[in-house]
Amino acid sequence: MRSPLAVSFAVWRAIFLREALDRLFDMRMAWFWLLAEPVLHIGFIAFLFIVIRMRAVGNADVLVWIIVGMLAFFLFRRTAVQVTYAVDSSKSLFTYRQVKPFDPAIARAVLESFLMAIVSVIILSVAALLGHDVMPHDPLLALVAAFGLWLFGLGYGLVASVLMELVPEMEHVLKIVMLPLYLISGVVWPLATVPQPWRDLLMINPIAHGLELVRMGFFSYYHAVPGVSMVYLLVWAVVALFLGLLLYRRFAVQLVMR
Amino acid sequence: MIAIEDLHKRYKTEHGPGKWVLQGITLTIPAKVNVGLIGANGAGKSTLLRIIGGVDHPNKGRVERHCRLSWPMGQGGLEPTLTGRQNAKFVCRVHGHEADLAERLAFIQSFSELAESFDEPVSTYSSGMRSRLQFALSLAFDFDIYISDEVTAAGDAAFRKKAVAAFKAMTHRAGLIMVAHDEGTLKQFCQAGIFLYQGKAQWFDAVDEALKAYKDTM
Repeated sequence: MRSPLAVSFAVWRAIFLREALDRLFDMRMAWFWLLAEPVLHIGFIAFLFIVIRMRAVGNADVLVWIIVGMLAFFLFRRTAVQVTYAVDSSKSLFTYRQVKPFDPAIARAVLESFLMAIVSVIILSVAALLGHDVMPHDPLLALVAAFGLWLFGLGYGLVASVLMELVPEMEHVLKIVMLPLYLISGVVWPLATVPQPWRDLLMINPIAHGLELVRMGFFSYYHAVPGVSMVYLLVWAVVALFLGLLLYRRFAVQLVMR
Repeated sequence: MIAIEDLHKRYKTEHGPGKWVLQGITLTIPAKVNVGLIGANGAGKSTLLRIIGGVDHPNKGRVERHCRLSWPMGQGGLEPTLTGRQNAKFVCRVHGHEADLAERLAFIQSFSELAESFDEPVSTYSSGMRSRLQFALSLAFDFDIYISDEVTAAGDAAFRKKAVAAFKAMTHRAGLIMVAHDEGTLKQFCQAGIFLYQGKAQWFDAVDEALKAYKDTM
């Protein structure tokens, strides 16, 4: 007999490998679109900034500023979306008793962090070849902030998938919430330029903190929004994660029951 | 041994919860005994089997599995976009056969007779090929008790013959819980019987008695 932990690790490994195949080779050139989506977003926004002759944001190179913010935001959003639909798209796996509802969620979140790491390295290398300074000034700060965003994405996804299962209409609500997140998190315009009291309202959003923190890790003299806090981001992430785990513990059977 | 305690199950319908399919089932199924589930259509045979197998979950009550128990044979989940081999690898890994992966895959490929189709996506398979793969997957692992829901009807005549032979060999070394609508099949494979009637279950040491009890209610 295998120990429960050994079973869990075997299941995570199996789902990870299988999801990786699905994510990279599901359709023709699926791997290409993983890279193309952020590249197109970055390209479009960078083009707009160049048109208005903006060279620096808060003392940072505008292209790198956009790249870093966009990648950090995509890390959160992709993890959140993948985890939200983890149980739904893994229904056929639950025939095998070893697979619990939580397993596809964690496997997908870990896979997404791997994929985003690869995508980030590729995009930043290309920017370096174009002559931009992409070396992070404080790599540890950038990594911890990225980890916080990833963890918050996982927690958000866990909570969202349970809510959607209990109240199917929540899917529409959550999609509506996701849409403005791109704009209000400071991906395309610097939140430091927003006047008070609106800035304080926008800074309730932990993703905005995460994005500013990742940028602070990259640029040595970056003018971040005052009051940016790593603790604030991590508290949100941990609370969301535990709330998600709690909901899974309570409603796991409902998630897979017919 | 499988201990079932006060099992209740009803399904969600369009108009809220439906009627109780299983209502307070308490049973102990010993290992190494072949058991047939007997009852009319809609009596909850497949439901009970799926709950025992852990594919579905009861609204109330519990199932304790003190042995290695298979998933419902021939009903293993397959991901259509992945190939037969990738699906088989997944199932092997989940069951902790990382070390002898190649050996198991070779068995699954040869038993399912898929040949080079084994490396094609499952979505391109015919229904016969699919059920051959699922049957081979079920036989690739050593379980103490197998559960089967009308499994012997898979593939073409030649494959069915081989499947029945393999099935019979398997029932000699391991326990079996099965649903079959054909009386002959039940008598051929099972010693004991469980009779399901109006949400309750009754255990019979001899399958003939269970069949008799079933006929008395008709």
